[in-house]
Amino acid sequence: MKTYKVLPHTADVRLWVEADSRAELFSAALEGMAGLIKTSRIELLKEKSVENIIKLEAPDNTALLIDFLSAVLTLTHQCKAVFTEVTFARLNETSLNCTIKGFETDGFDDDIKAVTYHEADVKNNSSGRFETMIVFDI
Amino acid sequence: MRVPARIYASKEMLESAFRDRSLQQLVNVTTLPGIQRAALVMPDAHEGYGFPIGGVAATEYPDGIISPGGIGYDINCGVRLLTSNLHFKDVTVKLDKLAQRVFEKVPSGVGKSGHHKLSVKELDEVLREGVNWAVKNGYATPEDQKHIESSGFLSDADPRCVSLHAKERGKDQLGTMGAGNHFVEIDRIDEIFDETVASRLGLFTGQCVFQIHTGSRGLGHQVATDALKVMMKVMPKYGVSLPDRELAGVPFSSKEGQDYFKGMCAAANFAWTNRQLITLQVREAWQDVLGNENGSLSVLYDVAHNIAKIEFYKIDGRNKKLIVHRKGATRAFPPHHPDVPEHYRETGQPVLIPGSMGTASYVLVGTEGAMKETFGSTCHGAGRAMSRTQARKEMPGKELLQMLTEGGVSVQTKDIWSLAEEAPYAYKDVECVVDVVHNAGIAKKVARLRPMAVIKG
Repeated sequence: MKTYKVLPHTADVRLWVEADSRAELFSAALEGMAGLIKTSRIELLKEKSVENIIKLEAPDNTALLIDFLSAVLTLTHQCKAVFTEVTFARLNETSLNCTIKGFETDGFDDDIKAVTYHEADVKNNSSGRFETMIVFDI
Repeated sequence: MRVPARIYASKEMLESAFRDRSLQQLVNVTTLPGIQRAALVMPDAHEGYGFPIGGVAATEYPDGIISPGGIGYDINCGVRLLTSNLHFKDVTVKLDKLAQRVFEKVPSGVGKSGHHKLSVKELDEVLREGVNWAVKNGYATPEDQKHIESSGFLSDADPRCVSLHAKERGKDQLGTMGAGNHFVEIDRIDEIFDETVASRLGLFTGQCVFQIHTGSRGLGHQVATDALKVMMKVMPKYGVSLPDRELAGVPFSSKEGQDYFKGMCAAANFAWTNRQLITLQVREAWQDVLGNENGSLSVLYDVAHNIAKIEFYKIDGRNKKLIVHRKGATRAFPPHHPDVPEHYRETGQPVLIPGSMGTASYVLVGTEGAMKETFGSTCHGAGRAMSRTQARKEMPGKELLQMLTEGGVSVQTKDIWSLAEEAPYAYKDVECVVDVVHNAGIAKKVARLRPMAVIKG
């Protein structure tokens, strides 16, 4: 099970993410970010689906998550698409190989400048679930 | 802490500064290797990434740290002021039409493309040459260029230090405003505080002027993101360990430090060219609505408020070359400084401080006090005081639009829902912010502007 929630932040946007597994955490973070970029899904051009492969390495799991979301954000702007799904061929603490899927769109609702490392800290909570905060620079 | 942390604030502002992490971030900045004299924060401070917004820090050239967090994701976000020869009363009757025409001319909104779609070669020229490219191609005059900080280009720029991803994001965004707190505004000067300086700047009470607030768009954001990722990986190689990932930095003289600085300069050049092309569009709108007989719009000045510059300051009696980081802070050079345009040598460099939508903005000039105390820097704006979510809850966009319209401010936007996020009450009181810097002697008030029309993405 995965959940995410938008929390208050003075200047930007804070997203709380929690999930049973690492893969679900990454998936929930992707969905949460997609929900910020495009609050209404009606204008997604459903006939124009888009797929991209992402391969990354990072010093630790927190950096890997932020770098993953940053890569998705770059592709969002390049492809003018919103990505909502991810399938992992490989995901561990420091590397991943995945395919992201989404749809082209005629516009975005929020301009996410960057996915920041601020407050991000992927860890297991007392229930054994993965959790982290992610702050987006709007 | 390697140096002290110094805060410019009123008593009330200081109390509110403890409500977010801006002061903790300022303390973190004091740990930067090579930092000189003090880490500073201006009265418009709020929590940022690595550095607080409103933060200023200078590190020793050539081996002190350069930190992308000390510049921000929106490299060379800045403000430009255009002046007309007209009194606002001469414009009022056509104000709505003028605002609408500006709205039509200047592409705005998230991810929106501009009218100038650049080839790879052209984009590299913009990145390398900045406003020089605009002059060469007839989008700017030499007179415009004289009135831009650093003449609208940094010669250290190298397009090879800007990734393909960044270029992909930026290639069709030249001449676009973006969204969020970016805007074009039609203002009137409603108070002059220093008649002599105002006269020298060509400002008069009632004058119709324009502000343009935007930056390097997706290109700059990507340059910063790319650099942070690289720096976090290589910091251990240089023995750098910092308390916050977003404060990541490397020695300026290192390969990674140089790559980032050259990429940052390229992104800064893109931003100045962006504001120049928007100027062109605003001038076209002005001509379309007011005709040729009412003259054109002149550039008063253009300032960057997210940037790093190589500058000289006296430290312990010695003239030292420093890497000055300004993140949500504006350069404020005094009279007679050689980097101030000749036309402004007697007055000091104009400093442009935009307020929030519906409140006031200010023109100030730089001072010797800024050179002595704040590495030639002052505040950049009002600073946020409330989250976007809270701002939307306080008043829906439609109601805010009505309030502004009834208050005499015409608003042009496609995104009513997000308008509420930029409401005046979401920001600190800009008058208080400006009074702090004026009273501290790190900038001097010249004129206050009131909005007549706001054009937003």
